[in-house]
Amino acid sequence: MRELPSKESALFKQILKYYEYKQYKKGLKAAEQILKKFPEHGETLAMKGLFLNHMDRKEEAHEFVRKGLRSDLASHICWHVYGLLHRSDKNYGEALKCYTQALKYDKDNMQILQDYSLLQIQMRNYEAFNESRLRLLKLRHNNQRYWIGLAISYHLLENYESAEKVLKAYVDTLKEKPGPMNFEHSEMLLYHNLIIEESGKFEKALEHLESIKDDVCDRRSWKEKRAFFLLKLERYQEAEEAYGDLIADNPDCYDYYNGLLSASKINTEINTSELSSEQREKILGIWQTLTTKYPKSNLLKRLPLQYTTDERFKEEVDKYMQAALRKGVPSLFVNLKKLYVDPIKEIIVEKLVEEYLQNLKTHNTFTKSSNIDDEIEQPTAYLWTLYLLAQHYDNKRDIMKALKLIDEAIEHTPTLVELYMTKGRILKHGGNFNEAMKVMDEARELDLQDRFINSKCTKYMLRNDQPKEALKTIGLFTRGDAPDPLTDLIDMQCMWYALEEGECYRRQNNFGKALKRFHQIEKHFADITDDQFDFHTYCLRKVTLRAYLGMLRLEDQLRSHPYYFRAAQNAIEIYLYLKDNPKTVNGEESQNYDNMTEEEIKAAKKAKSKAKKAALKEAKKAPPTKEDQSKKKVQDDDPEGEKFLKVEDPLREALKFLQPLQILASQRIETHLLGFEYYIRKKKYLLALRALKRAYNIDKENPVLHVNIIQFKLEVSRLEKEDNEKREPQRDSTEYQTIFRVVNTELPTILPDNTSLKEYTEEFLARNKGSISHLLASSNALLQINPEYKQEATNILMNSIKDEFSNTRTLKHCISVYEQLKNNLDSSKAEEFKNKCKEWFPISTYFTGLDRDKNDLKIE
Amino acid sequence: MVTSTETIKNSKVPKRNTAHRIALGEITPNNLGQLKKLNTVLFPVNYSEKFYKDVLEVGEFAKFAYFNDCCVGAVCCRKEQINQGTTSDQAKLYIMTLGVLAPYRNLGIGTKLLTHILQHATLPAQHPKFVEIYLHVQTSNEEALAFYKKYDFEIVATVEGYYKKISPPDAYVLSRKL
Repeated sequence: MRELPSKESALFKQILKYYEYKQYKKGLKAAEQILKKFPEHGETLAMKGLFLNHMDRKEEAHEFVRKGLRSDLASHICWHVYGLLHRSDKNYGEALKCYTQALKYDKDNMQILQDYSLLQIQMRNYEAFNESRLRLLKLRHNNQRYWIGLAISYHLLENYESAEKVLKAYVDTLKEKPGPMNFEHSEMLLYHNLIIEESGKFEKALEHLESIKDDVCDRRSWKEKRAFFLLKLERYQEAEEAYGDLIADNPDCYDYYNGLLSASKINTEINTSELSSEQREKILGIWQTLTTKYPKSNLLKRLPLQYTTDERFKEEVDKYMQAALRKGVPSLFVNLKKLYVDPIKEIIVEKLVEEYLQNLKTHNTFTKSSNIDDEIEQPTAYLWTLYLLAQHYDNKRDIMKALKLIDEAIEHTPTLVELYMTKGRILKHGGNFNEAMKVMDEARELDLQDRFINSKCTKYMLRNDQPKEALKTIGLFTRGDAPDPLTDLIDMQCMWYALEEGECYRRQNNFGKALKRFHQIEKHFADITDDQFDFHTYCLRKVTLRAYLGMLRLEDQLRSHPYYFRAAQNAIEIYLYLKDNPKTVNGEESQNYDNMTEEEIKAAKKAKSKAKKAALKEAKKAPPTKEDQSKKKVQDDDPEGEKFLKVEDPLREALKFLQPLQILASQRIETHLLGFEYYIRKKKYLLALRALKRAYNIDKENPVLHVNIIQFKLEVSRLEKEDNEKREPQRDSTEYQTIFRVVNTELPTILPDNTSLKEYTEEFLARNKGSISHLLASSNALLQINPEYKQEATNILMNSIKDEFSNTRTLKHCISVYEQLKNNLDSSKAEEFKNKCKEWFPISTYFTGLDRDKNDLKIE
Repeated sequence: MVTSTETIKNSKVPKRNTAHRIALGEITPNNLGQLKKLNTVLFPVNYSEKFYKDVLEVGEFAKFAYFNDCCVGAVCCRKEQINQGTTSDQAKLYIMTLGVLAPYRNLGIGTKLLTHILQHATLPAQHPKFVEIYLHVQTSNEEALAFYKKYDFEIVATVEGYYKKISPPDAYVLSRKL
């Protein structure tokens, strides 16, 4: 029974109007009125559910919509409503199915088709999207947005010809041409041009570009495209002029200079050191001409530093640095650092700045001059020179020298925030997180309204494992009307904080909370993906088509973002750990007490139970006040993230993070190394081997990869041996046979058959001289091959004391070496090594035991 | 107390690099930390929280000095009613601190701070009217004495044992009628 008597039928039409105008309460009332007489009327039931959904009564909503659908399965309205409900739950797959059903019963319904196409593009179902757009245009061909929508659908299918045809046909239907400077029309023309460009026909694209010249509002894009096309078409003379013109518009845009060089037939892709001296002279000549033309361009002052060497470089950098130091440019070092890829340049800079410092100290000039009339420098020149030199030595990890210089700078001008920030950074690099944090806090107090220093200070607190202090500090800058700082940070999708806090909890073996943060990041990325939904209609309406295409492509690559990678890597590693240490799941033994003395363990346990009690107490007091309620505080029922610890299958969770990396970050070796760890635990040997081979193709000398190859070989050999000996009947022998066959043919491409694992490791070590991470890998590998190789493994590690390893002797490496020696090899050698480390890292908390009071601070 | 300020510019100082800016800036709750840093370095006295609270109340009579955008000095004054309790509309201005970081002395920064105070103290709209400005200077601080004398301050009294922890403990009272 679908037909309603005329009175109710009119009311139902009114209901649809109410929905359109978002008058949900009125709509609900009207629906209930009909239902009084016709309680089984399906479409009304469904509409009632839809209104309830908008009034935050989710469960009832689903109930009514489903009920409505049951009583009227052939109604396009019921199916449409069900689709809308799924869509509002972000359940796009299900929504799509509902729309397909709805269209079965009303195939030319514009509204449904429209919604259908939105879901299709959201799900990147390009073929179906194209079909829907085609039908829409057939039904309604007097509206611009349907023409453009169809063009986009062809464009996404890379059917450039049809896309172009559609746009052309549309322009032809226009009775009168839009006036000049019509933004929407201009955007459509530029989009048309983009389609031609992406089809690879630059000649045609340029022609088209010239033809639309007078109708384009975005002049800069137009000029940039023109220059680019000229370059692509190798019309160098014109390209050169075009880029020269762009530089005149903005002499500080790097891309324009690159374009200019390319137009002068200079390859800008290669390293500048590979250019011939002839080319170099040519470039310098170009810069010189331009400098006289645009004396205010900062970029032009810096560019010559890239293209000169030795004496010429010295001259240029001397000029450049003196000007910056005199002016007081805090970012000077950041600009110089890029030049340090050439070690000779680094030496030149160091020598010059040391001279400045001496000369400023003795007679207030940068250079040793004999001329008595020379201008002398301001005290700030000396200050910025100290600052620069401190950063330079910090970069070289000459921590003590850097500290001495920055302390002198602070004594000179103790009010400058930048100096404390750099001091904090130096201390951090020296391995003293506690002191680093204190100095950052000192800097923060100098300028309480500086959000940057506040955030830096927060980060340093987290690095020093003090999450409570960190939250308090960042809370100084979160919104005042938010229920609490953390909620605001999550609302604002503040990812750096979530990452740092997650890593902080991971270091403290608080895996539940850590995972909670990393899942939060995943949620932010999912939300960003969902957020694009609104733009499918918005961009069509506003004709911001180039930006729309850009957005679609960004969303497709979204999870390749470094933030996602970092969260995923952490989460995967934790889940792997949980898989290997299942007892951790039950909470009590989750602390890692390995490196603690008995007393410390006791203290830590005590502190933990104390903290637990305090948390309970806090939860008990604080009944919800009115204020809290008005702020709509959402109660977090799992603040400790225990549900993440209790997952049944940690590996399945790991896989959820791994898959996006395999698709979007396959160029990063870590992706495949993590993949190996996952597959080897799943006993999927062929996939593990594939991961090894992919990693091998990225960097065959990677230290972790080497250990993994050894591990893989050992495990497969053991299996093969077992299989041969036992011949267990229940084991599917043929499957294993296949694995062994594939492994035995494929593995030799990375691990030669005729060398023993020990020889393989020795060769690996010989190939990678001077690298401590390779020592660590080799030592690890030897122990795996045979636990009796302890002596050799120890000797390998002790090599790191030799001078040839000084370049790779980072704090992190040394801690790994020490722990390996201490925990698995030879504790007396470990002590010997530690004494060396004390010399190398004189302020590091780890090796010198300074700042043991840190723990007192932590327990409040 | 006031120490370490300006001396009369030596005429034999060679020509300076001209690229420098001196500017004055407000003291606010947000940058009070910088004033604390300056005071720790400049004066051998610990100032109370009240000192810093009062500084925020006196408006133009407390200022930072910036040299090439670095904060390098400050002046802090206190208004004192004459004949407290009566309806007198006359007042004195007391300079609690005026100082410039050592590397930035003899560059005209102290002068800039002091002239700013003098200018504002003598504005016609100023109410209550300031009739006098005064301060304490350690008797041994010749640099400071010379500086203030240049701006027509005179020694009007000597207070023995004015300072508790530094030597000599005596201070001159320097004053100038407005």
